[in-house]
This record gives sequence, C-alpha cells and structure tokens, in this order.
Amino acid sequence: MRHHFWKWPIPVYLFLGGLGGGIFCLSAVLSLILFPGIEAVPTALAWPCFIGICCLGFGCLMLVADLGQPMVFYRAFVKSTSVLAWGARLLTVCMIFGLLWFVSYVPWDWFRPVADLFVFFRGLNLAIAGIAGTCIMLYTGIFLSTLKSHAFWATPALPVLFTISALSTACAAIALSIGWWPATTSIFTEAGVMNILASQECKHILHTVDVVLVVCEIVVLLVMVLSFLGAGNKTANKVAHKWVHGSYALAFWGGMIAVGLVLPELMYIFLDGTIASSVIAPVFVLFGGCLLRFMVVNSDERAPLPGENEYFNKVAKRDAEFVTKWTYGENIY
Amino acid sequence: MAENPSIFDEDVQCIKSLCYFCHANCGVLAYVKDGDVIKIEGDPNYSSQGGLCCRGTSALLHVNHPARINHALKRVGEKGEGKWEQIPYDQAIQEVADKLNQIKAESGAEAVASAGGTTRTDDWARRRFLNQFGTPNGFHNALLCWIPTFMAETCVAGWSPFETDLGAARSLILWGMNPAASTLGGMHGYTDLKLNGMKMIVVDPRYSETASKADLWLPLRPGSDAALALAMLHTIIFEGMYDINFVTEWCEGFDELQDHMIDYSPEWAEPITWLPAEKIREAARMYAMNRPGCIQWGCTWDQNGSTSTTASHALALIRAICGNLDIPGGDGMPGPALNFLTDEELELNELLPEEVKSKQIGSDKFKLTSWPGYQIISDNAVRKWGKTLPTEWFCEAHGPSIFKAILTGDPYQVRALICNATNPINSYGDAKMTLAALKKVEFLVVVDYWMTPTALQADYIFPAAGALERPTIITHYGATDSLMGGRRAIQPKYDRHTDMVFWRKLGLACGQDPANWPWETEEEAYWAVIEPMGLPINNYNEFVDNVRMYFPPLHQTKYVQNGGFWTPSGKVECNSSILRELGYSGMPIYTGMAESELTTPEVAEEYPIVLTTGGGFMPYHHSEHFQMQGIRYLYPDPYFCINPDLADKLDIKQGDWCWIETRRGRIKMRAGVEPIVDPRVVMCPRGWWFPERDGAADPDNPFGCLESNVNTLTSVDDWDCDPMGGSWNNRGLMCKVYKCGDLDNVFRSEDAQFSIPGSAKEPGIHMTYSEMKTCREPIPFEKPAPTKEVPEGYVWTWQDDQLYQKGTGFKLDESGWLIDPKDKSYVDAYTGWHYDANQQCLVDTSTGKKYTMDRQEIQELAGVRLYPGTAEAPFEITSQALIWDAEKGYATFAGAKGEGKIFNPDTQWVMGIEDNVYYDQHMGYAYDPNENNLVDMETGARYTMSYEPINAGVAEAHVEADAAAAAMADAGDYADAQAAAEASDEIAAAQEEE
Amino acid sequence: MTRYVMVIDQRRCIGCQSCTVACRTWNELPLDIIYNPVLTEGVKGEWPNVHRNWIPTLCMHCEKPACVPCCPTGASQQDDDGTVWIDYDKCMACLACVNACPYGMRDQSKLQPALHRFVRKCTFCRDRRQNEPGRDPYCVQTCHQKARIFGDLDDPESEVSKLIGSVETFRLLEDMGTGPQIYYIPDLGGTAK
Repeated sequence: MRHHFWKWPIPVYLFLGGLGGGIFCLSAVLSLILFPGIEAVPTALAWPCFIGICCLGFGCLMLVADLGQPMVFYRAFVKSTSVLAWGARLLTVCMIFGLLWFVSYVPWDWFRPVADLFVFFRGLNLAIAGIAGTCIMLYTGIFLSTLKSHAFWATPALPVLFTISALSTACAAIALSIGWWPATTSIFTEAGVMNILASQECKHILHTVDVVLVVCEIVVLLVMVLSFLGAGNKTANKVAHKWVHGSYALAFWGGMIAVGLVLPELMYIFLDGTIASSVIAPVFVLFGGCLLRFMVVNSDERAPLPGENEYFNKVAKRDAEFVTKWTYGENIY
Repeated sequence: MAENPSIFDEDVQCIKSLCYFCHANCGVLAYVKDGDVIKIEGDPNYSSQGGLCCRGTSALLHVNHPARINHALKRVGEKGEGKWEQIPYDQAIQEVADKLNQIKAESGAEAVASAGGTTRTDDWARRRFLNQFGTPNGFHNALLCWIPTFMAETCVAGWSPFETDLGAARSLILWGMNPAASTLGGMHGYTDLKLNGMKMIVVDPRYSETASKADLWLPLRPGSDAALALAMLHTIIFEGMYDINFVTEWCEGFDELQDHMIDYSPEWAEPITWLPAEKIREAARMYAMNRPGCIQWGCTWDQNGSTSTTASHALALIRAICGNLDIPGGDGMPGPALNFLTDEELELNELLPEEVKSKQIGSDKFKLTSWPGYQIISDNAVRKWGKTLPTEWFCEAHGPSIFKAILTGDPYQVRALICNATNPINSYGDAKMTLAALKKVEFLVVVDYWMTPTALQADYIFPAAGALERPTIITHYGATDSLMGGRRAIQPKYDRHTDMVFWRKLGLACGQDPANWPWETEEEAYWAVIEPMGLPINNYNEFVDNVRMYFPPLHQTKYVQNGGFWTPSGKVECNSSILRELGYSGMPIYTGMAESELTTPEVAEEYPIVLTTGGGFMPYHHSEHFQMQGIRYLYPDPYFCINPDLADKLDIKQGDWCWIETRRGRIKMRAGVEPIVDPRVVMCPRGWWFPERDGAADPDNPFGCLESNVNTLTSVDDWDCDPMGGSWNNRGLMCKVYKCGDLDNVFRSEDAQFSIPGSAKEPGIHMTYSEMKTCREPIPFEKPAPTKEVPEGYVWTWQDDQLYQKGTGFKLDESGWLIDPKDKSYVDAYTGWHYDANQQCLVDTSTGKKYTMDRQEIQELAGVRLYPGTAEAPFEITSQALIWDAEKGYATFAGAKGEGKIFNPDTQWVMGIEDNVYYDQHMGYAYDPNENNLVDMETGARYTMSYEPINAGVAEAHVEADAAAAAMADAGDYADAQAAAEASDEIAAAQEEE
Repeated sequence: MTRYVMVIDQRRCIGCQSCTVACRTWNELPLDIIYNPVLTEGVKGEWPNVHRNWIPTLCMHCEKPACVPCCPTGASQQDDDGTVWIDYDKCMACLACVNACPYGMRDQSKLQPALHRFVRKCTFCRDRRQNEPGRDPYCVQTCHQKARIFGDLDDPESEVSKLIGSVETFRLLEDMGTGPQIYYIPDLGGTAK
C-alpha cells in the first residue's frame, strides 16, 4: 500500500503549531483572566510568546517547505471551507497579532516609538492571538481526524489528545522560558522583582496545570489506543497492535508513556522544586509531545483494497536500474 | 492532463496504422502532427474494436526510446566489447555485401545463413534475398511456433484448418494457448461466446488467465500433450462419437486408424498426463458431442520436443473425424489467396538452385518442415489449390543445427550469419551454446531495434524501423486468403530502415538483378500484392483508407464444391501418405517424452520437479520490451510460478530469489508462490534479459542473457527434438529448485557451460551433427510404380492415380483437357490457354488475347469480336438500319453514318469506336447517360427511351445555356458563369413543369 | 443531469494491465504514477480447484468525495457530471487530499522536479470527453475484453444503467461513506464452483 505520504516536516509542524498555539492560549489566559491588570505577568510571558511565534513561524516554514509547489501556498487563503485553509488563516492571525503584542514589549530605546504605538492595543492583540492560538491547538487534531480514510486518525479522541498535548507542552515551554528578556531580569529593580514574582506565580500555576494535563493525556492516550486494540475496525486495530506490541511498542511505551509522560509526572510531583521538575521534566514533556505527533502521523494506514499491498510490493522501486538508466531525449546509439 | 499538442488540434492527421508488437496486429490510429506522432489509440473500427494492450499502447515510447539503435554501427573493438563506429547506412550495406560475396566465392553460398525472428510481415523479402543469393539456410523459430502443426494438418486435410469460425461454434478447445496473455483481441471473442453458452475447454498446466474463464480445465503434466490428444482421439473413436457420415464420405484409412489407436486409452494416458481417465473422457465428450466445435491452435503442440508433431497430428485427426473441417462453426481452411499475390509468389523460389536444396542444414533429419517435406506438400498444394505455401517459415533450416555447424563445422562450416529481428540467445534453445556460436561465427550482421546480447556480438548492426515507421500488411505468412493493412504513420527516424528495404539494398549491393527488386518502398510492394484484386483504388494507402480489411466471400464447405479435400488422395487422410512418403508413420505414434519420471527415472531422481517454459506472459512478448520502462515497472523481475505446497517443502517464500537447475545449467528467478501450478511443477517465463546492464562488462553473460533465461536450461540435442518438425523441448523438463543462499546468489559462467550434446557437467563437443541421431528411425517407404503411361512433362501421383502437368500442376482430364484447380476451368493442354465457356473461345491469361477453338487469334475492335472475311453475319441482326461489312467483319450503320461505329451483338448497341458513345441500333440516336434519353446528333432533338420526342425547344435552350455557362467558366468568368448556370437550371425546371 | 460512472465486469477482466499502461501513455504519466492498478486478491482455493478474480481500480469519482472538501486551495473539484479532477495550476501538493482518499488513488510523482510537483489522479479522461463528447476514457477504449464500461447513470438507456439495474454489483469500501461510482460485476464462476 502506498502511504507515509507526509514526511517529517508535517509532524514537526503539528507539534510546533500546537505548541505555539498553546503558548498563546495560556499566555492570554494568564494575562487577561487570571491576573488582569498585573503588567508584570504579560511582560514575563513576552519571551515565551516570542518562542511561540518562532514555533509557529518555523512550523509554517516546514509546511511550505513540504509543498511540492511552495510558490502557490498563498492559494490556501483563497478558499474558505477546508480545515486546512482555516488553519492557515488562524496561523497567520495568531502570528501577526502575537508579534504586534510582543513588539510592544521590546525595550530597545531606538525602537521605543514603534513599540509605543502598540502598547495601547496590548490587551486586544493578546486576546486575538490567544483565541487564534487556541483554535490552532484544536485544529491540528481536528484536521487529522477529518481524514476519515485513516482509521487511526478518524476518532474524536485525537483532537482531544492533541489539544491536551499542546497545552501540556505549552506549559512546559513556558515554564522553561518565562521571565527572560524583554522582562527586566535584574533583581535590583522593582520591575525585576515583580517579574520574578510573576514568573514564580505563573510557573506554580502551570506546574499544577501540567500535572493535571499529563494525567489527562495518559488517560486519553491509553483509552484511545487500547480501545482501538480491543475493538475498532480492522485497520485501526492493526495500528494499535503495532503501537502496543509491534514495531512502535518501544517508542510508545518507552518513549511516549515512560519518558514523555510518566517520568515527568513523577518528577513534577515528587521532585518538586528541583531542577528535575523545573527543567528535565518539561524537556521530557516536549519530547513526548513531539514523538506523539510523529507516531500518529506515521500511523496513516488505510483499509487496503483487496490485493493492493501485493501489487505495490511487486512493482519496481523508483530507483531501479532500468528506471534511472535511460532518459528520454537522449540517444545512445 | 494539459496536453500539448492535443490530438484535437486542427492540423493533426489521423492515420490508420497497425500495431507491430505481436502477431495479433491490432488496429491503431496514429495522430500525426508535423511528421511526428503525438498520440496513438486503438482503432474502434478495426477487428480489434479499439483494444490495445500494454505493448501496443507503448508504441510511442518505443519510437523515441533512448536505447533504440538509430544508425548503422560497425564494430571497432573486439567482438562483444561494445565499441562501435557510426557509419552511413549505404556504406555499411556495401561493406557487408562485399564480405558476403567473398564468403560465397570461397565457401559457397550455403556458408551464409540467416536467423529470423518475428518481423511479423514481409518475411518474403528475406527469402527473396536468400534465394537470389543462393543459400537454403534461412531459418526462424518457426519450429516452435505453428509450422510443424501446419504441416501435419496439411498432411491430414490438405491445408491447416486454423481459421476458427467461433460465432457458430458450440465448443472450443484452447490447448496450450493463453490468449489472455497473447492475443487479447481473440480473448474478447472467447469470453463473449463463453458467456453465451459455448463450451470452453482449456488445456494448460497452469491456471492461466484463460483457464480462469473455462468450462473445463485440464491441468495436464507439462509435455504430455501428445498422450492426452491420443487418449482423446481413442475415446472419440471407441465411444463412437465421430461424425460417421463425414468419415464414410470424406475420410480415407479410418479403419486403419481405428486399429492403430486401440492401445491409446485414457487409462494408458492417466499416469503420463496426471489426469484422471474420466476427466479425459469428459473433455473428449464435451468436444465431440458439442458439434460444430473448434480447436484453436496453441504453441505448446510445437514445443514438446520429441512428441510435438505427434500431438498436433492427433489433434488434426480429432478435428477431422468429428467433421469439424471447413464447416460453419468449425475450423475453416482458407487455402492460399487466389485473388492477390501470396507471399510465396514474392519469394522467387524458382531462383534457388535445385542442388543447394539438399544442403539445407537439418533437411536430412527433420524433413517435414524443410525442403523434402515442403517440396511434396507444395507440389501437392499447387495441384490442388493452384497456389502454395511460402518457403519462408514453412521450409527452413534447423536453427540449432546451424549454431552447432558454426561450432563444429559439421556438416559444413557456416561462416556468416545475418540475424534479422531476433535475439537467438534468448529465443532459441540451449542459450549458452547459441551464445558460443554467435561469438565464434566469422561474420555476424544484426538488424534490430536494440543492443541485444546478440547484437553485441555483431560485426555490423543495422537499425530497424519499427511500429508506426512502416506500413503493415497481414496475410498470416501467406497461409490465408484474407488480408488486412495499415499505413505508415511517419517516415523512419534517423537512419532506420524497414526490413524489406534492408534486404533490397543488401541484394542490390551483392549484385542481384535490380529487376528482381522492383519496389523501393513497402507501399509499392503491397500495391503489387493487392492490385490483382481489382478494387477501384490506385495505391496501397487508398486501400488502407477505404478498405483496410479484405475478406474473400466466405466460402465454407469448399471441399464439397471442390469435390474433395486438398490432399493427394482427395480425402482426409487418416493415414497420411505424405508423412509415409517422408519416412514417418502416417498415423501418430507415441514415443515418450525426452525427460520425464517415466521415461528417464534416473534423471528424475536428482531432478524431481517438472519444469515448463515458453508460455507467453503479459506484458512481454518473446524476449522483447524489457527496455520499456512503463511496462517493466509493473513486472520488474522474472517470477516463476510455484505451488505453495512445494514452496513450503523447499522453504521458499514469495519473492525469494531461487536457483532452477537442470542437467544443463541453472538460472535465477524470483518465486511467485501461488496455487496455479501442480505441486510437482514449476513454470518459468521465457526470454528474460537485462537490457539496463552494461553488456560488455560480462562477456560470458552479456546483459545477463543467461542468468534468468530459461533457454539456458533447455536442450536442442537432435534426439530431444521432434523427428518430424525438429522442434526442441520447452515443456516438461526435469529440474530442481532451491533458494539462493547467502554465498550462492551470483550467477557465474560455470553455471551455464555449453556442451554438445547438452550437459553442464561435461562441457565441450562430444558429438557432431552427423553422429547424432533423432529419437525415431525412418520407416522405409517405397512409392508404387505408375499404373499407366506417364507422358513427357507430366507426373503421376499414386494416391489418386492421376496425371498432372509439371510446373503448372494442372490435372490432365480424361478428355485430354487440363483442369486449372483455381477455378476448375479447362485449359488447352498444348498452349496453356484457358477455355472461356461464355464466349466459347480460348484465352491466354498472360496476354489477355483470345483465340478460337482452332487456336486462331480472335481480332477485336472496341471489345467486339471481328469476323473478317465472313460473308454472312454470324449473329442475328434485327435492325434495318444496320448492314454487315464482310470485309471488316462487323456490322454497322449503312453509309457515312456507320463511319467509326461498330455494332456489339452482346449488348445490342452500336458503339463509337473512339469515343465510347452508345447509339441506338434502330434510329441511330446517341444515348445521353446523364439525362437517360436519346439525342439525334444531326438535329439535336431529344427522345425518350421509347422514341417519344421531348419538348425540343426548352431542352435545346437548356443545353445551349449550359454550354454558354461552361464557356464562361472556361474563360475564368465564374460569377457570370454561375448566373448563366442558374438561368440554365431555370429553363430545365420550366421543362420539368411542362 | 449527467452522472458518469464506470462498471467493471470481473467476468471479463483477465488482468492484462493494458488499461494501466494505456492510461500511463495517454496521460504521459511519470513512471511512479499509476492511476488504475489492476489488483487481484490472488488465487483462492486448493489446487486444482482454484479461482481468481481481478479488480481493476481507478479513482472512484465518489458522490461525496473526501478529497474535495479537504483541499485548501480549491484545486480539487467536482464537475456537475460527477467527475472529480484537479486543477494542476492551483494545486500546491499539500497532500491533504492524498491522505483523505480512502482508496489511495491520488499520488504525486517523486520523479518530477522537487518544486514542481502536484497531485494527480484519474479524471475519467476529462480531456477526451471535453473535446469530443461521447468519447470514452482511454482505459475503456483500450480494453480488449471490454471489461470496463463507461456511461451516464442518469440516462436509463445507457449500458451502465442497464447493467447496474439488471446484474448484481458491488462497490469497494462502501462503508467509507463516500459513495464510490465504480461498480463491479463479480465473477462467481470459474472452474471452482
């Protein structure tokens, strides 16, 4: 069967898109809902959001690079109904408003006049970017789950899983990067102290949230995979077997469940306050999220047509000698 | 797909062409723009109904393939080194001609041989060259393909009944034939008819594509076809299922056959064929009880080695005693084409010196398909049909024996070989011996599309024009009376030339008489072929555009009108006199297979598996098309069929590379594990080679031509060949199969070392042609002495006790007249003039002149016979206006009115001698065919056909106005002319109203 | 209205793959693109009571194609007559449709220049039909066995309507819910009853 059409840029994009979207979602929630009016919180979140923008931008780059005809990518904005087109628009919106929001925090003196222009719109910009980010998070999973030909994707659990994973990785990313430039990091200024306080508070909240999210993710992932294993149609069942005790078992149990979820969860709970909880665990979570996207995207088995596999096993390889030997237009004799 | 350019563009021409990739020659429409074909598709108005298979649809890729040979190449390095120099075509021709003439002068013309392949048409051109050159050693793979069968069937019934009339048939046997992979156009018909209730019996050791559609499928042991055929014949005879009326009236020697067949029971055949006796009976009953029925010819009959012709002979008898010959729904016997030129008439066989015929290699052993058998069959055909078979295909040297002669010099040294459209290494038996011969031969010339393993050994390579670059005419090698044609879509590209042009140029360069090569192009030659049909066309392309498919009026049951079959005795010969005359049994005798668990148990011990080869398989044809990427992509590697049970036993999985080994070597193929063959059998595709490799890199195995080529495993030893037709064994060999090991997966030259006779274990030449015997001793035969006096210039045939004129083959009637078999007309024995019963005169068909019965030339004027010096008219003259001119010998009008006119008593009209105007014999009015009335030329008055006057004034005005209009048009004044013509029409309309 | 469908008669198909190659040459496809593979489940049964069917495939031109709504650029589209096709000038080869198709009938060639790739698939030979109404798709015309029958399902007089109305047919992966418009007439016979 012909499959694995999507190469590595796509799972990378799905991961980065979810991550970036999640960062904006959480930043908006923290700044506008949990700590409204406390300027130190959004300032501390400026750097994580910048990383979010980079993630989205790099993700977009991946996406465009993966196209066979990148020069016509703009067409994705023309038609309105497809999930993918919506995704493209959300990405753009999120990046533009996120950037405008971030710009207003850039502390360089020469840049002041520009930055000042956007200060007034900070709340609005972040709100828009946050909503768009939330939608991006949701859409990556929804997009795959609408491709019904792949039984393993066509489940409502997948958007849930992707959203949880996106939030969880966003928590981890924010925890790793909150409070850096352009926030004042000097502890000798009031702003610096506020920044540290705000960062600590946010980290604390995110830590708690992530503890919950990781548990949720484990539950959803196991429910999804094990329900495919137990029931599900033939194709999904086959994939689930591959995950649980097939060729993906090591990546699944060792990589995703153990390293990506259980270990950081344990570190979060039992090693709270150590570097294991503040640095290693988030890195593991990010790794787990990335691995999840790869494994899911590569599980794109279709229900094969009768004899399809045998047929495509028999046809030549694209690099067979007789394929590459002759080029039309040349004459040998 | 955005097409550019598109076939729907305005300046695109659609040319009716024919496919050229297998013998089915399906109809092709070629869309040509600016001298290049841009697209092709199947022709829906041709017999193939728009169908085109993988091979046909790839024609465009074939024309432009980068590996095609486009220029004449001369070897500059060592043989097989692959170093070439491009030289002009005509220069190469001259150099080759000089070398051939030198060899002819030194060693005789017979030292030059020519191997042919599937040129698919124009084979006569090669024979035309060889005959003029004076060598009898032309050969094809014909012995594996139809020819022995054709000859055996002709011995039984006078022509091969190969044109099945399936529309009315109630049963059909497809024996050793898989049209679903070979002739797809035919398969369509079989499927239609089968869905409509025709019984379809398929005999094939493999569950083929065709077998999947059969009513009854007989998976026999490969190679046991003869035993099965004999058992079926036995069943039909002894269960009384033959057509008793037909046998009584039209067959000779049936009682002898009945006695002869008594031992060949289904029970006897059971262990040989692996088929239950009951199943054999079921098949025999299905065919014999569902009459009329057809037996489609299948290649297998000719590829069973020692039992080949026995099988086809037995099948010919099955067909005959069931009365299925030449009847509606049976197997039609077309006979040679009587109304256009046959291939034989294009071959100039009369130019081949009589004494070299006996030098034809193989003709002393395999007589049925070489000069001894051909001569008898051909002479008989001339006597019975009036025309005969071509020598190309039907009278050939024994190919493998030529290769052995190159290696051993026995019976004499063959020094030069011209390979035209063939790659013998892959298509002839014992590939390693063939390769050794091609390496050794002093002078090798190859005409081909591709750099084949054979071409790599050549001294000169000539580029061949292929599909779309040549017109194609189909006459089934001159063995039938119908004809189909296709046009050339484009002129040959580069320096490519068609085969006929190659042979013509070579012939002229060798110094042959230009008068014997009158046609420069195929179109001219084909026009010469079809001109005698008398169709209202002027050239070959018009034939294709307007006619395309020519079928003579269907005449079945011709033997009834003919008063007999076309055998020497005039009956279906159950005990063939021709075969007996050649020293063979007149009835089929089973000799046993060359290799089998029954005949050679000691071989079967080491090689327990039965190997069968040679079956065609989609999408390839013979050893062709491995370069065609689009095709190869679907079938990139050689897969052999093996039953899962056997594969399990040998620990072979789907796709594993395996060794297949016989006593003569081993080859590599991939396993296709499917329950489509018996667990005791493996089946290999044929002809495989690897054109993508570097041929010169491995001189022992150029282009991998031995590595996966089943012919590495086959034997061409004389005792393994059919003693009648000479075909070697491709089916039912003994082999063993094992998986390629990790350290044993590379083909080495010692895996296929040649030896004569064949055995890989003892390489070398152990026996020469003269020492090797065939598997059956000749049966002495003494021709009876004439029972009557044989006049000079006549021959007596013992079978029907008749005298025939030598040369013409006309039968000498008891009345003293000769009888022309073509139309049963009488011929004057002294002059050779035909008797015309209508005019009661003699006609010399070569000049068209007529003679009286006293052999006086008859004078004619404007097609009317003259009687000069006769006082009274020899016919009745009813008109008063006519007088008899005794001096000139014809009747005409009296006086000056009769000047230049002649009365034709046959039509009862008077004719203008010069202008062909008809005049009414009573009144002398001229006849106007446009108006269908009569005109008095003196007054211009018009009359109806019953002499009633027509309103003269108007008519005259109309005529005058017309004349005026014509004058204006002549002067170039078209506007006025049109007005005048309209005015004239008005006058005519007014006349109508009145 | 016109609704083009294809009926494939398994009783007639012999697996010669002519349609595959014919399609390739007519549409000038790169080697690795196969619009209409002829599949087979292999031989069923025990020797010698075996039977085999072939399943010629092509784009199913679904009633509710999964590939059209997921296309972000509108390159994938469906005509009123049911033909699903791709505007190559609009396609950016995001492969969403390739992944959406339950039949695996879309692909892009890896043998084309990296930045000029687009997704292709069978269009029922739209070019042939547009230029000359009534002209069959090339795979239909080239089939010696006439195992592929093309026509208008909305025309009750068409051969396809009559066949679908009179003979039992099946469709591939019907449970995917896309409403495939390729109908198969099964071959239940053969030598294995």
